[in-house]
Amino acid sequence: MSAPAPVVNRRFFLRAAGVTLALPLFESLTGRVLGASRALGSQPGAAIGATRPQRMVCVGNMLGFYQPEFFPTQTGRNYDLPSLLQPLAPHQSDFSLFSGLDHGVKGGHFAIHSYLSGVRSVDAKAMPEGNISVDQRAAESVGGATRFPSLTIGSEDGLHGGCMMCWTRSGTRVPPIPGPRELFRRLFITDNENDRRRSDDRFALQGSILDAVNGDAQSLGRQLGRRDQDKLDEYLTSVRDVERQMELGRRWAGVPKPKPGMPEPANTGFVSDLPVLYDLIALALQTDSTRIATLEIAGGFEASAFGLRKDYHALSHHGQVRENIEGLLKLEKYQMEQFARFLAKLKSLEDGAGTLLDHTMVLFGSGMGNANAHTNNNLPLVFAGGGFKHGEHRVYPAQGLGRVPLCNLYVSMLQRFGVEVNRFGLGTATMRGLDLA
Amino acid sequence: MPALCRFAVACFGAALFALHATAAVPAPPSPVGPAGETTLRTFFSTYCRECHGPDQQKGDRRFDELALTVTQPDHLLDLQDIIDQLNLGEMPPAKAKQHPDTPEVRAAIDLLTQLVADGQSRFASTGAQTVLRRLNRQEYINTVGDLFGLNMTMFDPTTRFPRDEMVMHMDKIGDVLKTSGFLLAQYLDAADQVVEKAFATTARPAEQTWRFTGNFSQQPELRYSHGKVFQYRYLCLYETTTSDKHEGAYGPLLQFAEGVPADGLYEIRVKAEAKFRKNPYDPNFFGTDPAMPFRLGVVPGNAKVGALHLPQPIEPLLGEVVVKDDAPEWYTFRVWLDAGFTPRFTFPNGMLSVRNAYARILRQYNQLFPEEVRRTTGIVESRVVVMRYGQLPHIRIHEVEIRGPLAAPWPPASQQAVLGHQPFAPERTRDLVHAFASRAYRRPAHADEIDRLMTVVASRRQQGRTPFEAMKDGIKAILCSPAFLYLAEPATEPAVERTLPAYALAARLSYFLWSTMPDAELNRLAASGELLHADVLVAQARRLIASPRSSAFVNGFLDSWLNLRSLGDMAPDRGTFVRYYAQNLESAMKQETRLFTRDLIDRNDSIVRFLDSDYTFANRPLARLYGLEDAVDPATGHEFHRLALKTPQRGGLLGQASILTVSANGIETSPVIRGVWLLENILGTPPAPPPDNVPPIDPDIRGAKSMREILTKHRDNPSCFECHRKIDPLGFALENFDPIGAWRTRYGQGIAIDASGELPGGQTFQDVAGLKRVLVTRQAQFARMLTERLLTYACGRRLEALDRPAVDKILEATGPDQYRFRDLLEQVVLSRTFRSK
Repeated sequence: MSAPAPVVNRRFFLRAAGVTLALPLFESLTGRVLGASRALGSQPGAAIGATRPQRMVCVGNMLGFYQPEFFPTQTGRNYDLPSLLQPLAPHQSDFSLFSGLDHGVKGGHFAIHSYLSGVRSVDAKAMPEGNISVDQRAAESVGGATRFPSLTIGSEDGLHGGCMMCWTRSGTRVPPIPGPRELFRRLFITDNENDRRRSDDRFALQGSILDAVNGDAQSLGRQLGRRDQDKLDEYLTSVRDVERQMELGRRWAGVPKPKPGMPEPANTGFVSDLPVLYDLIALALQTDSTRIATLEIAGGFEASAFGLRKDYHALSHHGQVRENIEGLLKLEKYQMEQFARFLAKLKSLEDGAGTLLDHTMVLFGSGMGNANAHTNNNLPLVFAGGGFKHGEHRVYPAQGLGRVPLCNLYVSMLQRFGVEVNRFGLGTATMRGLDLA
Repeated sequence: MPALCRFAVACFGAALFALHATAAVPAPPSPVGPAGETTLRTFFSTYCRECHGPDQQKGDRRFDELALTVTQPDHLLDLQDIIDQLNLGEMPPAKAKQHPDTPEVRAAIDLLTQLVADGQSRFASTGAQTVLRRLNRQEYINTVGDLFGLNMTMFDPTTRFPRDEMVMHMDKIGDVLKTSGFLLAQYLDAADQVVEKAFATTARPAEQTWRFTGNFSQQPELRYSHGKVFQYRYLCLYETTTSDKHEGAYGPLLQFAEGVPADGLYEIRVKAEAKFRKNPYDPNFFGTDPAMPFRLGVVPGNAKVGALHLPQPIEPLLGEVVVKDDAPEWYTFRVWLDAGFTPRFTFPNGMLSVRNAYARILRQYNQLFPEEVRRTTGIVESRVVVMRYGQLPHIRIHEVEIRGPLAAPWPPASQQAVLGHQPFAPERTRDLVHAFASRAYRRPAHADEIDRLMTVVASRRQQGRTPFEAMKDGIKAILCSPAFLYLAEPATEPAVERTLPAYALAARLSYFLWSTMPDAELNRLAASGELLHADVLVAQARRLIASPRSSAFVNGFLDSWLNLRSLGDMAPDRGTFVRYYAQNLESAMKQETRLFTRDLIDRNDSIVRFLDSDYTFANRPLARLYGLEDAVDPATGHEFHRLALKTPQRGGLLGQASILTVSANGIETSPVIRGVWLLENILGTPPAPPPDNVPPIDPDIRGAKSMREILTKHRDNPSCFECHRKIDPLGFALENFDPIGAWRTRYGQGIAIDASGELPGGQTFQDVAGLKRVLVTRQAQFARMLTERLLTYACGRRLEALDRPAVDKILEATGPDQYRFRDLLEQVVLSRTFRSK
């Protein structure tokens, strides 16, 4: 008959969480009330006050990092940097490195999408907040304070539709903005008079369509059974979501977009686009266009740009062959260099009394542990900025009862962002040992 | 911080366990039966009771009262926890008085795993009913196309839709397909695009003719050399579109970049010749089959989407012709083009990389070039020299003529679909909206629905739109209504009598076999209620199957059952598997499996052919992969032919390259992955997922250790053994097929392949041919699996225990004739499950 749903591999964490997985497994959960904090916030475009807001940036790749060159052998402070971390040397005191953290999931490529949520989409039904990712959870609290509650950037190319890192509460993947050109236009190109009129008219049309179809859904619901009604709730929730988006769009439509201070970039392939994307993210944060950004470095990352014959995925299946590993390290090192450049950039930008990095939490890593073996444990993770005390390589137990769920880090990040939560995904507490500076 | 305390307690406390162990309410009978229950109870009382019984509850766990039927999700966690501890060998602890032996542990794990699987399927249950299902992306496209009579080849309003959610590769399961704000926002945009497109042409377009001679500037990379050598007289095609640098892979008409002015049928005439098909160079340079005549293709291009000499997201092959060697001749295509699209020429059997060929030809055949150019270096000058003095195989286009739109109906079908045969008049608005909504909703629209649509129209009038524009906006609202987007099946209480009403049945049948809305005939039979009669229903099923439109079923079902949709997602390595790209094997592989299936349906042959057959369908490149290229005449080598197979290894699905590629990862093969694939999709008995904390296999291809040795070691672990004895033999049987399905007898490192194996039942085989013989003896099991998949696909829900009688009945009806495929489809349609909500 039907294939069994994948085993709930997270029992330990769940038990740890004291989460009673009582119903509503049978029910559609999407009709749940959205976070109350979702209401529209401050006045659009108002200057940020003296207290600088926290920002959050999460970067992920599809295939992880070659572990023997990623994890240091020493712990604590002043550890020797393995070759993959060398590009981060100038920032060693600005980031924390973790060993032994993961979500307890399995599935290789098919589990990496749990990177920022801790929950695979197939298991989402059983979780109180589904498989919402940390960025989207934070974005729910932003409301209308910024033009974009969050920006999801990256490609859907490559294996199995890319990294698929960002998920909403209703279990829907947030589709990424594909390239620097599209990102630039969204951030900085203001509609002309004609476009404005057209978009006003579109708002008007869509508003009246939503009224009509909302009525259709109500009347259809009356003819349906309970299960179907639950399903139809998804539709009604979607109507409210779109109305909210339109409201936000209307509010911001009259506010001119910031000046970019750079010309419109072209899309030239993911490898060469990567530094441009990082620059645009920094600009987006700096101009308070958004406070949350994610970047997905997917399989479309062209190995040919490095003169390599095999592609990224092929190299990740290195089979311990030295030549493959060296090729793979080239690609991974490049990603690390660009990330280091991004940190340097955030550090160089003034933000209130400190730097932009002081007010930006940056997570860099992957939902893949060891791509050669398709594992999703002991994930490579670098966590920088945000005003935390950094500089250490922290090692957590890789197995046994003392395990710490990676989601605890997300609890810490959410609290730092200003979201009042004590748990998130599989996380039940803030990250042990991660203190504010 | 309170959160911290909670974490500490939680982490070391595990306080909830005993709570769920008490079975206060009588539980349903255990899925492992009384014998299984006794085995487990004995196991617990012998080995676990001392620490986890009435006297002691170490770790807050108590097993003597443990429920052996999963009724709450928490039970799953409890049982899985026990399985994990047993797998890890951590329980019972070393200091315990008694220890179970390996067979006892295996038996316990096996039973507990069954309990978990049973529980999981129960929690996924939808009460054996289809949950309100929205159209998936493909169905949306097809339905919109039919509603408006729009040609959807070049028009995809769904490009920004989020991907459809799937289980078991199926994108049709009602409770799984989601609607989100993102999707609804896209529905709103798509409705706008569709309706505006339907009404885009406002005046009858006049037929025009465009001629292009000379001044063929093609792409920046070729500008210099084509200017120098040809003075831009020709469009030259060198590469196949699956090349990676696309130098001369597309022949765009840059003078016609704005494309045709109106949707319609166009005649394209091309004066072209095949140059240097016979040349002195090593054919391996090009990766092509020099015996096959050159072919010229046409694909659409849209300059607004991107450069015309590069691939674009929408570029179906609109037509292709064989081109004569060395003699320019006129060739004619008649193709549909949407407004704004321009034709681009392609070379389906061109070479993979002309860019690499220049320098290689010049180096290796230096003596064939005039002395003064032999020392040329650098890509720019080498290109010129090889084009001028060499014999580079290519298609040369001298002239192009485009004429159209040809004999376009006026008003276009898309406007007639809304307006009927009369022009628009404001007072007709309500009638028009009513008629269109009734088609879109697949049943007569209700008065309150029309009222709401008219409210949209009225408010748009108030906002200053003309009556005509406001009517169009009403039509847009129809495309966003849940009545259109969902296949609604009204509630029929009580739950025992769940027969689908006629309109819902018509929709189910149509979406099953055509993946689109019911046509006029089905609608008529639904309106009269005749469709509810079995003889009418089966006659309609036959009509739909016989129509070419049922290719939507063949493609959609194969995508869902065999995951052909994912073919190419794990792209084979370009270095190792050049021919996969050079000969466009990916599309050939898909085509083989589709033709094979289509043929079974058309001939109403037995589904046992899926397990083993002495024939298949292939074009010459695919036949070459199979070592059978001589069986296909090069002159018609691009077409698919039915081929007799002389050896027993290749027949059936297990020898088809599509299956062998989709079950590998493009780099290497894994007997485990292919074995699991077989268990899931052929035998219908998916194995349990691997237990936690068992070390994964970390491939090491350097040494002399074969996969078999690595896996044998893995199987020494008792917890791995239970599943891997079922998985591995199936996978090993396929090891003679490389990651793209070519036959091999050794691995890359020279290790000989041993494909023999023994199944858990004791049957042994030497290689895949032997395995297939065993599978044929298990055809009843295969037929059950396939029937269940068909029903799942047709009804949009997972099957449950309650559906078993319906499945049995189908199998009884079709078994005596060895389960002929069309019989099976008809029985599925006639089944209780199909005709019920």
